[in-house]
Amino acid sequence: MTGEVEAEGLTKDFRTFQRKEGIRGAIENLFVRQYQTVRAVDAVSFHIRPGEMVGYIGPNGAGKSTTVKMLTGILEPTAGRAAANGYVPYRDRTRYTRTIGAVFGQRTQLWWDIAVVESFRLLQRIYDVSDADYAARMEIFDQVLKIKRYLNTPVRKLSLGERMRCDLAASLLHNPPLLFLDEPTIGLDVVAKTNVRQFLKEVNARFGTTMLLTTHDLADIEELCRRLMIIDHGRVLFDGALAELKRQLWRHLQVKIELKEPAQAPALESLGANSIFRERLDELTYRLTFDRSEHSAGEVIRRIVAAVDVRDIFIQEEPIEEIVRRIYTGPSVLEIGR
Amino acid sequence: MSAAAEIANWRVYREFARIGFVNILAFRLRYYTGVLTYFLNVTVYYFIWKALYASDPHFAGFSFREIVTYVAVGWMIRSLYFNNIDQDMAQEVMEGKISMTLIKPVSVQWMFISQALGETVFRLGMLSLPVAAVLSLVFPVSPPASLAHGALFLLSLLGSVLLVSTLNFIVGACAIRLKSILGLLRAKFFVQELLSGLLVPMTLFPAPLQKLFAFLPFEHIGYTPMLIYLGKLNFPQVARALAVQALWVVMLATFGAWFWDRMSRKITIHGG
Repeated sequence: MTGEVEAEGLTKDFRTFQRKEGIRGAIENLFVRQYQTVRAVDAVSFHIRPGEMVGYIGPNGAGKSTTVKMLTGILEPTAGRAAANGYVPYRDRTRYTRTIGAVFGQRTQLWWDIAVVESFRLLQRIYDVSDADYAARMEIFDQVLKIKRYLNTPVRKLSLGERMRCDLAASLLHNPPLLFLDEPTIGLDVVAKTNVRQFLKEVNARFGTTMLLTTHDLADIEELCRRLMIIDHGRVLFDGALAELKRQLWRHLQVKIELKEPAQAPALESLGANSIFRERLDELTYRLTFDRSEHSAGEVIRRIVAAVDVRDIFIQEEPIEEIVRRIYTGPSVLEIGR
Repeated sequence: MSAAAEIANWRVYREFARIGFVNILAFRLRYYTGVLTYFLNVTVYYFIWKALYASDPHFAGFSFREIVTYVAVGWMIRSLYFNNIDQDMAQEVMEGKISMTLIKPVSVQWMFISQALGETVFRLGMLSLPVAAVLSLVFPVSPPASLAHGALFLLSLLGSVLLVSTLNFIVGACAIRLKSILGLLRAKFFVQELLSGLLVPMTLFPAPLQKLFAFLPFEHIGYTPMLIYLGKLNFPQVARALAVQALWVVMLATFGAWFWDRMSRKITIHGG
């Protein structure tokens, strides 16, 4: 069905050639080649319904991009089955790709050396978009993305944020029911990230576009997706609602503080003892991790400021790597400490 | 995807050709020096042939006047039919950029070939015509054997361009398996230069080799158009030569499509 994605036991192996070192190794390589099989995606199964926005997250090298490449028809799976928009992606590539959009944050689908508008015109032809639809969609995209002013600039002269906005518009010119986004906010500054997220939200609301986005920025997920899947070493570790993840695993905040005086470090000891986990990064910098359900950020900061002289303070949510580690290791140091 | 479906989509590929043209415009500086390079090549060969013809005025079955025309027009058309899609493809495959092509609902083969055709139109104006003007002013280049031969020569040039493009596409597709394709690109380059008749007419090779090379596509790239230009073929022979050329284009295009289809399943793109 249109806007629907299904994966069943989707698996991808890569065979890599093991190079031996040195001159002797180089000569040996000529005659004997050793291959190693790496399983990038390991029997992944899921079902995405039309109109859903699903986050697909995991640390670097987890298999996110490889999954997206199989779902967009770029790579053929080693095993398992995928269906999207009613097609088998890698088998019906030319017919299938007509019905999807795809954005890869680290690459551009625009022609590098020519004006953006030239690429847009070509895409208009490829996807058979009428002039009226083209004009109307450009108008809508421009409202949030503000891309009209770059149309006559060659892509290589655009900043990353400008280029990403143009790439987003390009991927949606034909109004596909299904959009894949691979790290759409990677390397962008806060303003550009906000802009991209707002745009995706509006497109989803307006056109009901199904979106699967990979990221390792949890803020993307928080802004956009009600559902997320966490993947690592090619396996899905969590598939469920964001609220559920927050309740179960993603409860911690990290406060990084820089002291004015190393001598004050012992004063930190007095903070909440067991329920606030303290790490020493260097003699002036400490990281405190605590459970949001037990302490509010305001309360913790108040206690910090009362105890020591702080030069600098940062608050952040736990990075995705921590959550993945927590899934593997079960209860964290924090819980054990209690 | 069948060839018929691609023909129905010709507007898309015309647009790709336009992009190929516009894209190369960004590199037009590269072509200013190209005119000089071609001029130097022809000059070197002119003097080599002059020395050879001093001892034998009917060397390799060509008069001196004919061989000068052969060299000059031969390089001039090389400036037209030459393209780098094998290199471009290899680069896209190695950098993983090919995935951006694969997410578009077009034939990868005809996309590359159309872009090459756009580039050819650009080369015609920026390179081939200036090269032709310079060469005909400096060297005693004869016109085509007749008006009809001239027209058929132009037709065979279209065949040359398609032949080089379909061939390059196959070589480029090898990049998927080989990863490091530089050696293959070089080898193909030299084989093409030698066996297309660009450096020497095919009559210079020993008879058994000539027979062998006749089974390869290369001589239809440069040698066949030159024979037509010089009037070395009568009209039935021209018709046959053009048919053989067209047959090669169809065979290489068909094989290329099949080969790409097989190869593209083996694509591995790591990371982003």
